[in-house]
Amino acid sequence: MRSPFAYVSRPRPLQSASPGAAVVYLGSLIAVAFLYSNPIVLLAVGLALVIAGRLAGAHSAVRAALWMGFTLALLIVVVNALVVSRGETVLARLGEWPLFGQVDVTLEAILAGLVLGLRAAVVMVGFAVYSACVDPDRVLRALRPIAHRSALTATLVSRLVPVAAADAARLRDAARLRGPGAAPVGRASLARRLLAGSLDRAVDVAATLELRGYSLDSRRRAAGATFSGSEGTKKRFTRWVRRGTPQAIGGRRSRFDRRFYAVGLVVLASAIAGKALGADSFSEYPTTEIGSGALTLAVAALIVLSGLAPLRRKSHRRPSELRWVRNTHATEFDRRAPGV
Amino acid sequence: MSELATEPRAVPALALAGVTYSYPTAATPALRDVSLDLSPGEFALLAGRSASGKSTLLRAVCGLVPHFHGGEIEGRIEVAGIDAIAAGPGELAAVVGYVAQDPETQVVSTTVSAEIELPLEMRGDPPASRARAVEEVALALAIPHLLDRAVDTLSGGELQRVALAAALVTRPRLVLLDEPTSQLDPVAGDELIWLLRRLNEEWGVTILLAEHRLERCLAAADRVIAMDSGAVAFDGDPASFLTWAQDVDTALETPAARLFSLTGIEPLPVGVRDARRTLASTAAVDGGGTDPLRTSCTFSSSTSRRQQPASPPKKLREEGVRPPSTTAVGAKNLWVELTRGDDERRDVLRGIDVTVKPGERVALMGRNGAGKSTLLRTLAGLQESVRGKVEVLGGIALLMQNPSDYLVRERVGDELPGEAGLAALRLVGLEHASDADPRDLSGGERQRLALAIALAGRMDGDALPGLVALDEPTRGMDRARKDDLVGLISDLAERGAGLLVATHDVEFAAAFAERVVLLGDGVVIADGPAREVLSGGWYFATEVARVLDLPGVITPEQGAEVLHKATERG
Repeated sequence: MRSPFAYVSRPRPLQSASPGAAVVYLGSLIAVAFLYSNPIVLLAVGLALVIAGRLAGAHSAVRAALWMGFTLALLIVVVNALVVSRGETVLARLGEWPLFGQVDVTLEAILAGLVLGLRAAVVMVGFAVYSACVDPDRVLRALRPIAHRSALTATLVSRLVPVAAADAARLRDAARLRGPGAAPVGRASLARRLLAGSLDRAVDVAATLELRGYSLDSRRRAAGATFSGSEGTKKRFTRWVRRGTPQAIGGRRSRFDRRFYAVGLVVLASAIAGKALGADSFSEYPTTEIGSGALTLAVAALIVLSGLAPLRRKSHRRPSELRWVRNTHATEFDRRAPGV
Repeated sequence: MSELATEPRAVPALALAGVTYSYPTAATPALRDVSLDLSPGEFALLAGRSASGKSTLLRAVCGLVPHFHGGEIEGRIEVAGIDAIAAGPGELAAVVGYVAQDPETQVVSTTVSAEIELPLEMRGDPPASRARAVEEVALALAIPHLLDRAVDTLSGGELQRVALAAALVTRPRLVLLDEPTSQLDPVAGDELIWLLRRLNEEWGVTILLAEHRLERCLAAADRVIAMDSGAVAFDGDPASFLTWAQDVDTALETPAARLFSLTGIEPLPVGVRDARRTLASTAAVDGGGTDPLRTSCTFSSSTSRRQQPASPPKKLREEGVRPPSTTAVGAKNLWVELTRGDDERRDVLRGIDVTVKPGERVALMGRNGAGKSTLLRTLAGLQESVRGKVEVLGGIALLMQNPSDYLVRERVGDELPGEAGLAALRLVGLEHASDADPRDLSGGERQRLALAIALAGRMDGDALPGLVALDEPTRGMDRARKDDLVGLISDLAERGAGLLVATHDVEFAAAFAERVVLLGDGVVIADGPAREVLSGGWYFATEVARVLDLPGVITPEQGAEVLHKATERG
């Protein structure tokens, strides 16, 4: 069974975009979630990410992240309500608790917990959309010139974690299938067996990397320093790639790149400017005050609209164009007067 | 002296001289004094029983032995002129491609394009040439539509092609393949073999292919090298190999060759086409107007046990006990949905009706993804159905594809304690191994131990009620081990268990099954006696059935009987 957060390639703008563009777009929304505490803006960021995720086809990832996020938010609300006794509106006095001391549940503490939980849920949705829509191989390939071995290690981890999850699922199934007379299998035994299996997998991967030429020092050569050919001649690779030559598959660009870069930068710039001008007005204690001025609403509206960036425009041909296509061998008169 | 004679001799694609190798801590060598040469452009088949040294030989050629596995090695290995013992696998990667039995273990990237591109990236090729090489190899292997797919969404056949593409993308002179078809259905397996043949003919790639199912690839090979206990036991052309196998090791005979051996017809056929031509030219079957073969084929009146309806198992008959029910398991109108990719729920089983009677041996066949494993998992309660009913009487013992998943302790006796455990060990013939470490058992023994774990506590005295289900139990098995498994299946059926075995191996199904259920895209497309189903098609038909093309004739023994009758009449 695949994880709902696993990357799935789809012919959608967000998946087609280069890793840099996708990271700028999603990263700007996640950054706003960290930058702002105003719940209206946080809700707007969450809404934008949900819209973006659904437009990108990552329905399961969004659903799973919302479920996990709201569960976490509920936990944060409960803990915050029990731990923080600040606030003027006391809803319940629960007396002395061990470790907690005097516990007073206040409306402000609950609302503050809600905001914290909302931020956590929004960030989780953001990372879920990133995980489901951005090809990890392309991201890591973009990073390889900077940190070759670290990027390769990260590639292997991103591959082996779901494999280990699948192995664990298989082991659990096998444990369920044991006959009633066989020794039962506890979690510790399963974990030990999974670890042993993971080590076997690691050995297989190491062998494969050897066969793929990992032991060769490719970074130096890929970076374009020098390459010793079979005749010992020195060649430079960097000069071979010119403008207009085919790009590597992992490094290909998309016609949607500009859109994502632009939207991401506009969102980030507007959020920073809005914050500087007071759009993030929010205070938890002693009484909760949520700023809902025009500036806050404008920033929120802009952020919600940014969720439409992954929208793919359907090509609508006008009737005359359709007629042109159908009548490629028609007369000039037909083309100029399609209605006739 | 001609100009040709003055040209330097072509460097062999592979040259081994006196290679002896022992794994670390191994008592006996895995390779013993192996010497052989492969010319550029040859297609060689590496045959031999399990543990005969085939995989070790391939690993030595690609440099994993001794560089990765350690151990002691003597002799000389040269690949395209490169000393493979001195150079490591990294240096050899430019001239050798290697495809392992399980592609899952040799995929390291998340997407197909990244996986194929990785060797070029390691080599330091510039982006432009990488993009072109990936595109070309994808076109050559007919997988350009897979390039953007995540590797964990691919079927076994698709993944095997991706692994082959990653091995070929550097345009190596020699490609090594270790049982690449063992996890593929007959269609995908045949496609892969003929794809290799095409690459061999059009690209001039030298192929060294280790394989157990020789009937699948013998016709494509130029040469056969048979290994026995780490040494080369035979090296020659496919026709000579069959004659050698007939005299020395009949477990390596193909079904068509076995048919001819039993009938006394020569020469032994390398493939189906050879066999048909030889039969057509044999006077014994040229009946002048009538077809003696067809008139000799008396499938409908045969008294073979295989085609009879399942009778009460022998043990129950001896005890005078009637079976408690006429069905060990029954599924009615079974619908199962699985999620594929993201939010794409798909009907994997679509209204399946299947019943298995006590003592009945049923083979469950179909292409990869047809729903075989899902059906077994649903019957065993691992998968929920969205509609339909499953009735199980006496429980289900399911052995999944990887027996090692059942083994979590370091002593066999700890896996199966008490009297119930001992009874299960006795049932599979492993009572002597109670103190052994499961990891020290052979592949076949590990499989039997896993089956014992699934069966423990389900026995009623000597009887075994319910269903025993096996999912692809013959992966990587040689014929001798398959014969052992056929014996075990018969024994379980004799004890009253219904047997339902999902398999791609048509010859194995012909050996054990009395009935075959053929699935296609989640529906039952054929359900009938094995002799009928396995003789009525092309891909899901035995080699003998394809040679003779007679209804109900699927094994060499049945074919020989028909040919003998035809000879008597003709």
